[in-house]
Amino acid sequence: MNDRQLLTRDLLVLFGLTGWGLSLPYLGSEFMVSMGLTCLMYVALSSSWGLFCGSTRYLSLATSAFFGIGAYTCAMQLEQLGWVATIALGAAVAAGVAIVMGAAVLHLRGTYFAVLTFGMTELIRHAVTYYEKSVTGTVGRVLAVVPERDTIYLTVLLLAVLTVGLSMWVRRTRLGLALMGIGADEQRAQTLGVNTRWVKLAGFAMTAAVAGAVGAAMSVRWTYIDPHTVFNPFIGFQTVLIALIGGAMTLWGPLIAAIVFSLLAETLRLQAPQVYMMSLGLLLILCVLYLPGGLASLRWDTWKLWRDDTRAWWKEKKREWTGEKAREKKRSREQRLV
Amino acid sequence: MTLGAWLELIGSGLITGGVYALVALGMNLQYGLMRILNIAHGEFLMVGAYLTWMAHTSLGLNPLLMIPVAFAVLGVAGMAIHFLCFRRLVSTSPNLDIFEARGLMVAFGLMFLVQNMVSWIWGGDLRGYDFMTDPVQVGGAPVAGNKLVVFVLALLFSLGLLALLRATLLGKGVRALMQSPVGAQLVGIDTKRLHPFMFGIGLGLSGVAGCLLSMAYTISPSMGEPYTVTALIVITLGGFGSMGGALLGGLLLGVVEAIGMHYTNPSLKALLSYIVFISVLLLRPEGLFTRKTRKA
Amino acid sequence: MTESTKPIASRRRILQGGAAMGALSFAPGLMAQNAPVRIGYSMSRTGPWTGGAQVSQEPNFLLWAEQQNAAGGLDVKGTKRRIELISSDDRSDVETVVRTYEKLMGSDKVDLVLPPWGSNANFAVAPLANRFGYPFLAPTALSRRLVEMKLPYFFLLLQQPKSMCDALVDMFKANGVRSVACIYVDDLFGLENYAAFKVALQGTGINLVEDKSYPGGVKDLSPVLRSIKDKNPDAFVGFTYPPDTILASRQSKEIGFNPKIFYASVGTAFPLYKNVMTPAGAEGVMGMGSWNAKTSPGAKAYFDAHVASQKKEPDRWASGACWAGLEILTAAVKQVGLDRKAIRDFVAGTTHKTIIGDVKFQGSENVGTPGTVSQWQNGEFEVVWPAARATAKLNANKPAWK
Repeated sequence: MNDRQLLTRDLLVLFGLTGWGLSLPYLGSEFMVSMGLTCLMYVALSSSWGLFCGSTRYLSLATSAFFGIGAYTCAMQLEQLGWVATIALGAAVAAGVAIVMGAAVLHLRGTYFAVLTFGMTELIRHAVTYYEKSVTGTVGRVLAVVPERDTIYLTVLLLAVLTVGLSMWVRRTRLGLALMGIGADEQRAQTLGVNTRWVKLAGFAMTAAVAGAVGAAMSVRWTYIDPHTVFNPFIGFQTVLIALIGGAMTLWGPLIAAIVFSLLAETLRLQAPQVYMMSLGLLLILCVLYLPGGLASLRWDTWKLWRDDTRAWWKEKKREWTGEKAREKKRSREQRLV
Repeated sequence: MTLGAWLELIGSGLITGGVYALVALGMNLQYGLMRILNIAHGEFLMVGAYLTWMAHTSLGLNPLLMIPVAFAVLGVAGMAIHFLCFRRLVSTSPNLDIFEARGLMVAFGLMFLVQNMVSWIWGGDLRGYDFMTDPVQVGGAPVAGNKLVVFVLALLFSLGLLALLRATLLGKGVRALMQSPVGAQLVGIDTKRLHPFMFGIGLGLSGVAGCLLSMAYTISPSMGEPYTVTALIVITLGGFGSMGGALLGGLLLGVVEAIGMHYTNPSLKALLSYIVFISVLLLRPEGLFTRKTRKA
Repeated sequence: MTESTKPIASRRRILQGGAAMGALSFAPGLMAQNAPVRIGYSMSRTGPWTGGAQVSQEPNFLLWAEQQNAAGGLDVKGTKRRIELISSDDRSDVETVVRTYEKLMGSDKVDLVLPPWGSNANFAVAPLANRFGYPFLAPTALSRRLVEMKLPYFFLLLQQPKSMCDALVDMFKANGVRSVACIYVDDLFGLENYAAFKVALQGTGINLVEDKSYPGGVKDLSPVLRSIKDKNPDAFVGFTYPPDTILASRQSKEIGFNPKIFYASVGTAFPLYKNVMTPAGAEGVMGMGSWNAKTSPGAKAYFDAHVASQKKEPDRWASGACWAGLEILTAAVKQVGLDRKAIRDFVAGTTHKTIIGDVKFQGSENVGTPGTVSQWQNGEFEVVWPAARATAKLNANKPAWK
C-alpha cells in the first residue's frame, strides 16, 4: 500500500470511529457513555504519549503532572472563563510547563529521563499542595458549576479525534520524521542537521497540551479535586502501559489497546478487581519480552514466527535430554583433536 | 536547642537513614550491575513485611527469626524472576538504551503484578503488630527498641554487603562485571550464574528491609511505592552503582529530613526532598559521592 | 432427514409456547410478591480507601441486608420484599465511582442506592444524587463544603468539623487545659478540622503552642513530636489518618511524650488501634468516637450482631453513623414505600430515633448528634464528653505509655 492509500485508509477509519463515538450519547445507555468517556480519555492520553515517546523512545512518566495541571487550571478558572476557553487554557498552561521542564531535562536519556519526569510529577504535586495550603488555605477545589454530561463527552471525543488526527498528520511532516530519527539514533540525527532540541520540545509540548486539555475536561466529573487525586501517578502509569502494549510507535496501537483495556477493566472489575491489575502487569511483561512492537505489530507472520520458535526450542530441549547434544559435542571435539 | 536534643534529632535521622540505605543498596546492586532499574523494589519489600506479619500473627514466630527466612524466600524469588523476565531481554535488545528501557517496563509490570497479588491474597486492610516498642535509653536519648534493632541490622547488612563486594572473590567478580561486562566475560567470570544470583541478593535485601520495617510501622499493600521513590532518591544522591555512596546517601538523607522537619514542617520536607533529587539529577547526575568517572 | 426433523421441531415449539403462556399467566402474581428491592452501591475493596471502607461501611451494608432478609425482607409499606444488593469494587478511584453510580441510577434504575466511602467519592456522587433524584445518607463524608452545596438529596450523618472541635475545646475548658499542640494531615480532613479548631480556641485563653502539618503517609514524626514535647503542652491534638495515628502514638511512646490529654482523630475508633497498640498501650488515648455498645440497648444488639455476622467489631464512630443511616432508610421505606422523593422528604423532615440517639437534619447536615470525644479505657473506647452522652467518666490524666 502506498502512502496515499494508507492515508485514505486511516482517514476512513477515523471518520468511522468518530461517527460511532458521536452516536453513543443518543443511542447508548448512561453506562455506555461513561465507559466511552473513560475509553476516549485514555485514547487521547496514550495516543499523544505515543506521538512523542513512542517515536523518540524517551519514556516520559509526566502525564499525571500535565493532567493535574489541566485539572487545576479548570478548577480555578471555570467560573470566570467559559468551557472552551478553560480547556484551551489548561492545554496552554500544561504545554508551557512542559517547555520549561523539557528545556531542563530533555538532554538526558533513558532511565534518567524516566526517573526525572517521575520526580518532577511528584515535585509538582507537593508544590501545588504546599502552595494551596499555605497561600490559599485550602487543599482541594470544588467545582460547583459544571457543564452537561454530553458536553463533557463531546469535548473528550473531540480531543481524542484531534489527537489521533494530529498523530496522523505529524507522521507525514518533517517534524514526525525528525522525531523518529531521534528515536532511531539521536546523534546521527543531529549530524544530519536536525535541531533535536526544538524538535523534542515541540513533541513534549504537544503531549502535554493534550494531557492538560483532557485533565481540564475530566476534572468537572469529580466535583472535588485535590492534588492526590488529579496528580495520581497511576494515570501516568496506565497511559504508558496502554501505549506500550498497544505499540507506542504505531498510529492505531494505543487506540486499540485503550479500547481493549477499558472493556477488560470494566468486565474484570465486576468479577475480580485485583485480577485486572495483575493481568495488566503480566500482559506488559509478556509484551515487552515477546512482542516489543506492541499489539499493533501483531501480524499473521508473528504467530507463525512464535510457532516456529517454540518448535525449535522444543527440538533443542529434546536433543539435550536424550543425550544427543552431548554426544554430538563429543564427536566434534574428537574430530577437531584428530 | 541543647546538645542532647541535637543528638536525639540526628540519631533519629540516622535510624531512618539506615533503613533507606538498606532498601537503596538492593536496588543499586541491580542497577549498577545489570542496568535494570527495578522500580518494583518496594513491592518486594512489602512482600517481606507481609510474610513476617503473617508468621508473627498466625504462627507466633519472633520477627527476628523471620529475617533470614525473608532473605532466603525473596532471594530465591529474585533468581526466578530474573530467569523468567530479564534474561531474555539481554539477548533480544539491540543496544543498552533499549535494554534499560525494556527492563524498566518489565519492572513496571512486576510492580502491578506483585502489589495486586498481595492485595488479592491478604486483602487491602491496614495491618500491624506490636514488637519491642518499649523505649531503650541510648546515651540519654530514648529510642524505641524495635527502631534500634532495625538500625543495627540495617547497618550490619549494608556493611556486610560492602565487605562481600570488596573482600571476597565473588565480590571482585561482581565489581569487575560492573566495570566492564565484556572484559569480565573474557576473563572467565560467569555472567549467566552471577546475574541471577546478585539479582536475588538485591531482592533478598529488600525482603529483609521489609521484615525490619514491619516491626515498626503498619503495613498495607501500597506501602512499597514510597520506599521505591526514596531508594531512587538515595541512589541518585549516592551515585548509580556506588555501594558506599548509597549507604552514605541514605544516612545523609535521613539526617537532612529530620533536621528539615524540625525547622520547617513535614510537608515542606517532602517538597525539599524532591527539589534536592531533581537538582542532583540535573546538575551532578553521577551522584554526590562518586568521582566523575561515569557519564550521564 | 430434514423432513422428519421439521415436524418434531415445530411440535416442540408449540409445547414450549404453551408452557410459556401458562407460566406467564401465573407469573405476574408471583413476581409482584417476590420482586426484590434492588439496592446498588460501590465500595472500595482494593486501593488506599479499603481499610476505612471495609471497617466502617461495607460490613454494615451486608449485615443490614442479611438481617432484613432473615426477617422475611424489607418492609415496603406493609409488603415484605427481599433485598438484593448490587455492588462492585470502585478501586478507590473517583472516576470509577462516578461511572458505577451513573450506571446504577441511570441505566439499571435500581430502587435505592447506598453511598460510597470517603469525602472524595461522596463529593463526586452528591451532584449525581440530585440529578437522578436518589436520596443519599452518607456516613463517611466530612466537609463543610459539601454542606454548603445545599444539595437536597444528600445527607451527611457524621458530625462535621465544627461540632467535633467545639466539643473538644469545651472538654479542654472543663478540664483546665491551658496549652495545646496540634498536628494535622495535609488534606481536606486535616485542614477543615484545623481551621475549625482554631476558630473554637478563639477567646478561650488556651494557648496553641505549636501547629504543624504533614503529608499523609509520612514515615517519621519524631522530630515534630520532640519539639512539641519540649514545649510541654497540657494537651496534644492530632488530626490524623489511621497510619499516622498509630505512628504518632508509637513515636510519642518512644520519645516519652505523655501529655495529660492525647487526642488523635481517625483511627482511634478502629479496633485496629487496640490490636496494634495493645489495650494497655491504648489506655487513656482520646479520639473521635460517638458510641459504643453501652450507648443504648439497640447499640449493644447491633454490636453483637456485627461481630457474629461480619466476624469483626464495628468501629466506634462511623460504623454507628452508618447503621443509624440504615435504620433511617428502613423506617422511611416502611413509612412511604419506594417513592424516592417521598423518602427524601421523610428523611429531611423527621427526627429519627437511632442507635446513636436522635438524628435530625438541617439541610444536609445532621444536627441531632452533638460533637463527642471518646477515650480508650480498659480495652473499650468509651464516650467521655459531653456528660449527657458519656458511657464512662473522663480521665484527664493520661497514664504513661505501656
